Amino acid sequence: MKKFFFIITIIFFLLQTQAQETDAAIHKDSNRVVELSEIVINSVKKNPQQQLIHFFKSNNSSTLEDIMSRLPEVSLMRRGSYGMEPSIRSFNGGQINVLIDGMRIHGACTDKMDPATIYIEPINLENLQVQTTTNGFMSGSSIGGTINMKMAEPVYENQNKLSGMISSGYQTAAKSFYEAVKLNYSPGRWAFRASGTYRNNKNYRSGGGEIIKFSQFEKLNYSFSAKFQQTKYTYLKADILADDGWNIGYPALPMDVGYAAAKIASLSIHHEQPSTRLYKWQAKIYANNIRHYMDDTKRPFVPMHMDMPGISKTYGIYTEGELNIKSKQKFALRADASSTFLKASMTMYQAGQLPMYMLTWPDNRRNQYGISASWILPIDSSLKAQINGRADLISSSLVSAEAKDQVSIFGFPSANRTDLLKNLSVQVSKSLTGKLKTTVGITYAERMPTAGELYGFYLFNSSDGYDYIGNPKLGIEKSLQAEASVLYGWEKNRIQLTYYYSKVYRFITGIIEPSYSTMTVGANGVKAFLNIPNASVSGVEASGIMNLFNAVDLMTTVRYTSAKDNHNNPLPFIAPLKNITSLRYQSKKFSAQLESELAMKQNRININAGEDFTPGYFLLHARFGYNTILFKNNLLVQAGMENIFDKEYHEHLDWGNISRPGRNMYIQFRVQF
Amino acid sequence: MKFSSVILCIAVTLFACKKTDTPEQDPTKGLTKLTEGFAAGAAAKVEVYTKETAVTSGYTKLYFALYDSLSGKRIDEAHIQLTPMMDMGTMQHSSPYENPASEMAAAHLFTGSVFFIMSSMGGTWTVKIKVHNHLNNKEGTLTVPVTVNEPPKPRMKSFTALHDGSKYFISLIEPSSPKVGINDMEIAIYKKASMMSFPADSSLSVILTPEMPTMGHGSPNNVNPVHSGNGHYKGKVNFTMTGLWRLNLDFMSGAAVADSTQSFDIEF
Repeated sequence: MKKFFFIITIIFFLLQTQAQETDAAIHKDSNRVVELSEIVINSVKKNPQQQLIHFFKSNNSSTLEDIMSRLPEVSLMRRGSYGMEPSIRSFNGGQINVLIDGMRIHGACTDKMDPATIYIEPINLENLQVQTTTNGFMSGSSIGGTINMKMAEPVYENQNKLSGMISSGYQTAAKSFYEAVKLNYSPGRWAFRASGTYRNNKNYRSGGGEIIKFSQFEKLNYSFSAKFQQTKYTYLKADILADDGWNIGYPALPMDVGYAAAKIASLSIHHEQPSTRLYKWQAKIYANNIRHYMDDTKRPFVPMHMDMPGISKTYGIYTEGELNIKSKQKFALRADASSTFLKASMTMYQAGQLPMYMLTWPDNRRNQYGISASWILPIDSSLKAQINGRADLISSSLVSAEAKDQVSIFGFPSANRTDLLKNLSVQVSKSLTGKLKTTVGITYAERMPTAGELYGFYLFNSSDGYDYIGNPKLGIEKSLQAEASVLYGWEKNRIQLTYYYSKVYRFITGIIEPSYSTMTVGANGVKAFLNIPNASVSGVEASGIMNLFNAVDLMTTVRYTSAKDNHNNPLPFIAPLKNITSLRYQSKKFSAQLESELAMKQNRININAGEDFTPGYFLLHARFGYNTILFKNNLLVQAGMENIFDKEYHEHLDWGNISRPGRNMYIQFRVQF
Repeated sequence: MKFSSVILCIAVTLFACKKTDTPEQDPTKGLTKLTEGFAAGAAAKVEVYTKETAVTSGYTKLYFALYDSLSGKRIDEAHIQLTPMMDMGTMQHSSPYENPASEMAAAHLFTGSVFFIMSSMGGTWTVKIKVHNHLNNKEGTLTVPVTVNEPPKPRMKSFTALHDGSKYFISLIEPSSPKVGINDMEIAIYKKASMMSFPADSSLSVILTPEMPTMGHGSPNNVNPVHSGNGHYKGKVNFTMTGLWRLNLDFMSGAAVADSTQSFDIEF
């Protein structure tokens, strides 16, 4: 890892010296660059998803999880008040990609307590893209889609001045503090950005007044970015992002997290020159290191103390570009490669005996080489087609004798494999009238089993109470998907309705293996990962963004998903019908927002997965904002009350039926200078 | 240029390595010398080695190195017969043993074994070593005392079988260096025919059930030890983690239970 950073630094300085030899006339043109980068942001913001993200991001203390949970495509699997695992249309884990700025990051926790989404604070987030079906596999073979969190970049400002923002907040439910700071400085061709966020949450109070034990967490997130405008069209960027969480409680699990630390670094070059054929390209090398340490020392009645450390190291490279080919046709290409090393172990201690040590993720490495291409071709003025394809060559192997010895117990003398994954999609969109646009797409996609599914060694799942055992011979999951969507937009209003259907072949799931004895004390049994013939997921998403009066906006999203296996049994962890509606009044100085959250009951449950019935709920939140000038600086005060009725509730995807926070009042201040 | 010189360097080093004469390795390297003496009459000096630093009760491999007592040259052709004896004062008994199977030494060593069925707490162990030196066709005997300790974890068990009332002695041979993963499992079973005769048994079948007593779980895909010759039963035992493991063993004679109470503990 150190070596890698050393190389990055060397390359960076080499590039920099080279850059200084180029013409220095760039200073006058830096304004133009600002415009360019803003165009990029705006183009992403156009679609309803980006409008939703923008809308919910305006609440400063929102975590990324808060924002994601309001997108119709995303549900969150909750094990604690922190580190919720995102799912896209009920696809999760290895079925989706979670990327930070196109970089692959693999959690270091065998229990998925550290999804990559925890490493990005909204203050670092420039935009969030949730790509489904036809576009979902473009940056990595996937049957469920991709969440890509684009990190905020340093900004060139007119004068060489330091600008920034300080934000502070308090919430009553978890007696939580939120402090954040952001600084931006742009001398000449350089621009620097630094940001830091600190969160401290105590055990929260659920609806009805119960204090949820082991729901606390504390974390520090800091990032630093440097940008150098090498030529008019090209800039270099170095990013370092670190996230340290500690004392993180997981009330739904038998253990908490002592620390979870991520170090993420990248160096990239970006080029954008609108009139040329290859009008946009970038290349990036990156490395990240995640360490995760589970901890049970704070729990009462622990039958046996155990340590469960995990480590994940990834380095990779990617380049992507967009080309103009004849008559408005566009071609986008991406090539990427990455290598991930994972290792997790468990050590149990019993007085008077030698420690009991085993690998829960036997040391393994996955090397991935992928190439993807997208061809956008306008057929006529109203009809546009897009064809996407991707292939991935992935090798997975156990890399230590210890790991091989362990996996051989299950009759797998060789656990190494190489797979070729193929993905293809076709999407056609047609503007029926100026206001109405329909899009239809079909997709064939494949995904690799995860390291846990291949090599997992008695991974305890506290949701169904089974120990899970990997299977190095698992087949890749394949999926056929169809999606149709209608978008109706007029003036500032947009209504979108989407239907999707996915049939997954060789669906990977845990099947009870009665001949194996459990490892975890008190477990119900052992499940081995197997491919079942098929499963299907279908659903509807709708979103409406309407400007009712001058200063009043209405945003509403509805989603419903239904999923079943080949025996027509419901798949587990499927969110019920859910609606989120926000009504917002916004004037220059003052904003008020009333937000409702409605979830229906879920009785389509999978008992084998430890699920039970979840009742529906209705929540109401109120939010207010006041904008003023304080000593020439812009001050924003936000206050509000969430779960006004103090409803005791949990969502269907919450493990252990742990109640969510009850009535929560918050206040926060933001000063921009 | 640089690259080729590096290759040259490597080549030279390799070549140099091959040229140097490696002296013949000492066959007793890693073994512990238990005792030595002269087998009078066979003109042979006998050195007795064990793998363990101290002999403990249970199946113990003995390695014999023979030298001409005059010239000091190795004797690689000999016939060795063992007679272990426990003298308890009021009575004497022998124990199971295996004479070296071959009259030719392998790497200058003859390998046999004695299954010490108790420690020296209760008396004095001796092993009589009768050597027939094939080089001079002479025979001689050496008797060596052996101190047999109690191992930290018992390696041997005995039981009176339910089906025939006979006394059986079993000893754990493998795994001798256990690891997480698949381990070779080997036990030896002897039946007590008389105080002086403990023939190897091949009549029992063995059911192996490993368990972690502190955790209450077992391990999958174990292979029951089956008879492979001379009272040795070989199978596989899988350990899913380090720590204290108990290998529960049930002994069957056909469908009849001979004993179902034995186990060996292994901790690593």
